[in-house]
Amino acid sequence: MSGRPLRSFAVLGFATTHTALAAEQLLKDLGVPVTPIPAPTSIGGALCGIALRLDPGDVERAETLLERAELPVAARGEIEDV
Amino acid sequence: MPASSSPRPVAYLDHGATSWPKPEQVVHAVTRALTELGGNPGRGAYAMALAASRAIFESRRTCAELLGVPDSRDLIFQPSCTAGCNLMLKGTLKPGDRVVVGSMEHNAVARPLEHLARTGVEVVVVQGDRTGLVDPDDVEREVRAAPTRAVVCQHASNLTGTIQLIGDLADIAHEHGALMLVDGAQGAGHVDVDIRVLGIDAYATSGHKGMLGPQGVGLLYLSPDLDVQTQVQGGTGGGGSESPDMPIERPDRYEAGTANTPGILGLGAGAAFLITEGARQHRREAELARQLIEGISTIPGFRVLGPPAGAPRVPIVSAVHDRVDADRIAFALDRTYGIAARAGLHCAPWAHRTIGTVDCGAIRLGIGWGNTGEHIDLALRALRDIVSS
Ligand SMILES: Cc1ncc(COP(=O)(O)O)c(C=O)c1O
Repeated sequence: MSGRPLRSFAVLGFATTHTALAAEQLLKDLGVPVTPIPAPTSIGGALCGIALRLDPGDVERAETLLERAELPVAARGEIEDV
Repeated sequence: MPASSSPRPVAYLDHGATSWPKPEQVVHAVTRALTELGGNPGRGAYAMALAASRAIFESRRTCAELLGVPDSRDLIFQPSCTAGCNLMLKGTLKPGDRVVVGSMEHNAVARPLEHLARTGVEVVVVQGDRTGLVDPDDVEREVRAAPTRAVVCQHASNLTGTIQLIGDLADIAHEHGALMLVDGAQGAGHVDVDIRVLGIDAYATSGHKGMLGPQGVGLLYLSPDLDVQTQVQGGTGGGGSESPDMPIERPDRYEAGTANTPGILGLGAGAAFLITEGARQHRREAELARQLIEGISTIPGFRVLGPPAGAPRVPIVSAVHDRVDADRIAFALDRTYGIAARAGLHCAPWAHRTIGTVDCGAIRLGIGWGNTGEHIDLALRALRDIVSS
């Protein structure tokens, strides 16, 4: 195991895979780095299997962009990862 | 002469049933789905499943672009046009509702409506004329007569090639508070479809006909405001699995079960092909149809069905002969000349009844991608030989 410290990430969950992928594409196109990950059970709700992981500092901007594009965020959470 | 070792026809003229051959891009997309994108789309976030999900996402967007659907979430993948028609009709009509439908419908619409009629839906059929056209004035008269939930009509006939005036019918339906539901199996891919302009509430189509995709896939557009009851419930992947209900969000609401990734990717490639080549292809099809109609009209004993030569139609040309039965013509075309064409009632007894051919059937030649003037010449020579021998 590496000794790298854990980082906190924000996670956005979506109701459908389509919305998750549309959100990923939109955010990447607009310069917000996101990584698709398996939706963590901890964020719960009626979610599709894919969630987007992003830097906590980008969440506000991401949410504004997604709302404008009518891509609703269905759940929010945080995870720790390397 | 047809090669005896291969069932491949010399001339394929059954595009009304399904298109063949397919553009290379379609074959490539299907192969790629099977070789590289084998994960279950929407069911996992590992690289191969994610890549399959992305490919389906892109395919949906491409199909939406071709059909003028503003938000691709409203475009639902279905196993066939038939499944799409069932969802569109059974998901919107309930006992006590009244529906006005044209008489040229395929069984994909006729049978679900006959089924719904037995559950208490009132089905009013408006007769088309001898060319297969359903007159919007006749539809309006019926819609005016009593509160109507929906007007249902095909985009184009799989028997006569007649293009129905669905934009006008949509205006009539909406003026009277009814929905406009369309079976576009013979429309999409052969004529321009722009959902925004047509203003209809639902449009079902096949993926494997004019859209040039593989068999086993279809599309259903549902307008954003239309509340359609799900007909199939099941898994949609993901973390909402604990809910007993289907998600309300589209497209997942109507896409329970593992998606047909090879079919959907092939369909997306067909749509992409049509975005660039469609206009040219439509002109070529119209020209070949004109050549075929004019040619058949000069063969003694034949009567071409549907709109007259030169009038708008999708490239389907059906005919009857006054002496030789349609099934014998189809058999001879195949066995002697290697020409694939279809006789019979074409799953459309309502349409045959409308134009007076239900007792004899017709020989149908469906033109599409890959056909050439040479195919039409071959068919005309063969038809002439068959009826004169
Ligand atoms: C007018 C029409 N509607 C519906 C269908 C059914 O399409 P599918 O076989 O793809 O379900 C057809 C196919 O022949 C058709 O011609």
